[in-house]
Amino acid sequence: MINLLSVAKLPIDSWVTDGVNWLTKNLSGFFTAIQNSGSSTMDGITNFLTAIPMPIFIIALALISWLLTPKKYGQPFFILIGLALVANQGLWSDLMQTLTLVLMASAVSLVIGIPLGIWTAKSPKAYMVIKPILDFMQTMPAFVYLIPAVAFFGIGVVPGAFASVIFALPPVVNFTYLGLQQVPTDLVEAADSFGATTWQKLFKLELPNAKNTIIAGAKQTIMLALSMVVTASMIGAPGLGRGVLSAVQHADVGSGFVNGIALVILAIIIDRFVQRMNTEPVSAPKLPKWRKLATWAMLAVIAISGIAGSITAHQASGKKVNIGYVEWDSEVASTNVLAEAMRQHGYDVTITPLDNAVNWQSVANKQTDATVSAWLPNTHKALYAKYKNDVDLLGPNLTGVKLGLVVPDYMNVNSIADLTNQANKTITGIEPGAGVMAAAQKTIDSYGNLSGWNLQASSSGAMVSALDKAYKDKQPIILTGWSPHWMFNKYKLKYLADPKGTMGSQETINTVVRKNLKQTNPDVYKVMKKFHWTQDDMQTVMLDIQNGKTPTKAADDWINKHKSQVNAWFK
Amino acid sequence: MPKVQIKHLTKIFGKRQKAALKMVEENKSKNEIFEKTGSTVGVYDINLDVNEGEIFVIMGLSGSGKSTLIRLLNRLIEPTSGEIFLDGKNITHYNKKEMLDIRRKKMSMVFQNFALFPHRTILENTEFGLEIQGVPAAERRERAEKALENSKLLSFKDQYPSQLSGGMQQRVGLSRALTNDPDILLMDEAFSALDPLVRHEMQDELLDLQANVKKTIIFITHDLNEALRLGDRIAIMKDGQLQQIGTGEEILTNPANDYVENFVEDVDRSKVLNAESIMIPGLTVNADTDGPNVALHRMSEEEVSGLVAVDGNRKFVGYVTSDAAVNARREKLTLRDVITAMPTVTPDMIVSDIMPIIYDAHTPVAVVDENQKLHGIIIRGAVIEALAQTEGDNND
Repeated sequence: MINLLSVAKLPIDSWVTDGVNWLTKNLSGFFTAIQNSGSSTMDGITNFLTAIPMPIFIIALALISWLLTPKKYGQPFFILIGLALVANQGLWSDLMQTLTLVLMASAVSLVIGIPLGIWTAKSPKAYMVIKPILDFMQTMPAFVYLIPAVAFFGIGVVPGAFASVIFALPPVVNFTYLGLQQVPTDLVEAADSFGATTWQKLFKLELPNAKNTIIAGAKQTIMLALSMVVTASMIGAPGLGRGVLSAVQHADVGSGFVNGIALVILAIIIDRFVQRMNTEPVSAPKLPKWRKLATWAMLAVIAISGIAGSITAHQASGKKVNIGYVEWDSEVASTNVLAEAMRQHGYDVTITPLDNAVNWQSVANKQTDATVSAWLPNTHKALYAKYKNDVDLLGPNLTGVKLGLVVPDYMNVNSIADLTNQANKTITGIEPGAGVMAAAQKTIDSYGNLSGWNLQASSSGAMVSALDKAYKDKQPIILTGWSPHWMFNKYKLKYLADPKGTMGSQETINTVVRKNLKQTNPDVYKVMKKFHWTQDDMQTVMLDIQNGKTPTKAADDWINKHKSQVNAWFK
Repeated sequence: MPKVQIKHLTKIFGKRQKAALKMVEENKSKNEIFEKTGSTVGVYDINLDVNEGEIFVIMGLSGSGKSTLIRLLNRLIEPTSGEIFLDGKNITHYNKKEMLDIRRKKMSMVFQNFALFPHRTILENTEFGLEIQGVPAAERRERAEKALENSKLLSFKDQYPSQLSGGMQQRVGLSRALTNDPDILLMDEAFSALDPLVRHEMQDELLDLQANVKKTIIFITHDLNEALRLGDRIAIMKDGQLQQIGTGEEILTNPANDYVENFVEDVDRSKVLNAESIMIPGLTVNADTDGPNVALHRMSEEEVSGLVAVDGNRKFVGYVTSDAAVNARREKLTLRDVITAMPTVTPDMIVSDIMPIIYDAHTPVAVVDENQKLHGIIIRGAVIEALAQTEGDNND
């Protein structure tokens, strides 16, 4: 027997990478076409849904629910209260964006999944091939789908839908297969004995018989698509997921709960409407005609108000710009200030929160126009090395940034070289893709006294929560810190000296834009080139946000106080 | 020319068919073949003709291949070898489309468990065959309604199968088959899932129907009584092979082999015939609690002219005739007052000793044990039949 350990490691990861790269290169036209048509379709749906006046939407939906299930008041009441609550929390447009994503992902999953299910039921060979693939798809962590999704379709709503489809497809295929398999054989025999063709059998006997099982599968598919919304928001899918994700990164329990509950309300409403389609022929009470008519009337009201709304909706001018950023407190501050300032100067700005690596990739692939979140030369060294030929580096927008290991001042260590076994030999870090994490790992590898230490990844918000807890109990804790950061104002902290310089010396935050921005959008390019501010400025905005202002409000307040500085960016 | 002709029809299920065929030729049993080869012999070398307008019954125990045979006829199961002729045309190698046409126009099937489509109403079930053929809605509706009217189910046409009793469901199954107006009806144990009374009724209906429409009916059953009632001719199968084909009478009088003989006999002749083996359950009336009205009601219900009277503990009391019961009703008497005597025998008394008692009695004979408990009654026909069979034995 071969000793497996002695065999050289198989380069599976590079095979997969090469495969995806090959696909990306050779099918780029196809992917771009899908990306463009998908985006415009989904934006169209979102605009339509958002254009429907909220009260009309809520009341009409509640009425429809009541018309379809007479004598039941719980559901319409739930729709009224639930949606009103979502609207009251200011999450209405997020809800509509999420709804678009779920509708699209579910529709595509069903359109692909039901025929696949029929095929597997009819052909044992197809079943043998497809079943293991489905099992693989179902058990693979959903995050993994995000990576090729970004490679193929970039960022935004389309890769989100793509990942959701892959993730949500298996149940409807499995249930369709199951439903068709469970049609009693004597019924199939009877249909055969009357000379039914394969198609007649399928449409007159098998599908009607399997209908309820298929609907159960469809329900699961819709729920999975809904659960993917949060995950997909990491690659720029808009909607409620973004709120949940940002709450996780900032350890903001309240906001996480509010966004979560909105998702729950949406899930319950969708589930009940789908459940309504699942009926037994014998027990199904026939709806009176007027109820049917009224339901159609309600749908017409929704549609007409949506169309009317879309027509009258203000179409923003062509000064479009999409800025990517990472959900760190510093970047939330700077990106929101820049976005608000540009909006006040007549630009149509979209800001997209992304994972750090994806953020760089998006600028390199020209899917976002710019980002003001590039920490150089050290923190984002690896990413810059990877993408430096595909982006334009416009230079610093903020100087004097410091990275380092940070401890509360009640700990009696002052240098990284003094560390022995404090805090369980653990350094509490942030998102695994962040530059400061790479630096911290390098530090652990370079200092002999840190051998056996480990770097605990979490998120920016979780790290601050951990700090808060440790600080209150006067427990030792070591953080991957950076300034500007509001935590230095809130707690008494100190940087550990870094004799080997592995955490980076002085850094700057830079502006990076896509390669051809100068030619295609010189106005935006100019603003990006000129945007800069100071640590103090940033710290002010960060503190405001930390103390409960919304990022846009904090940005507006700062802009109002620094009018001349801001106007200089646009000269 | 026979309506249906089958020549050397064989069906083997499984992989090693050659080996299985060889073993069949060596007269190995079905189980042995299965253990050796993993193949199952469905039917083997079947030859038979079915004539126009006859009810041809195929009998056999479960596993004898009768259901396989009927499915070979409309090729729901593809034959391994052999030929099937319909109206003199060889349909063995008809392609899919031609076969669909045969199934749509020539043959219709009725199933043991009705096989009605649960998501369709009775009317939609009935018109299914015509719908498949693309007959316009109005015409197929009319024909389906007519078929339902014939089976007295028209008022249920908008109900679903699950809302109907078994007997009604099978009438729908039959109507569905007849709506196509096929030449041949294939009935696969069509009445086996029904309770005995309804089953009897359905058999009568089928006979009435046959008198009117003169279809060729191929009927499968495992019940000898059903076969004898319905069959113009009967074929008996065992382990996929035909044992005998003939009229009911021929099969009863000249069984071709021991298997058939054992199959058709109601009485086990290995035992000495005694009272117990030829008695039937007695129809009783409780002389202490039931009155003449109850007795008369039961007689008309059971279509007899007399009942055995017992007391509360099922102890034998005597016999009540219909005349006596009418008399009791008129005179306001109880049943006890009008009971007539009835000859009794013990369960272990042998037939030859019972004969004289039977000849003299005007009533059936009661079989009563030493505690006066009633076990059953013996009627004249049973004794005569039992004796006739034993005489046949002596001639062997």
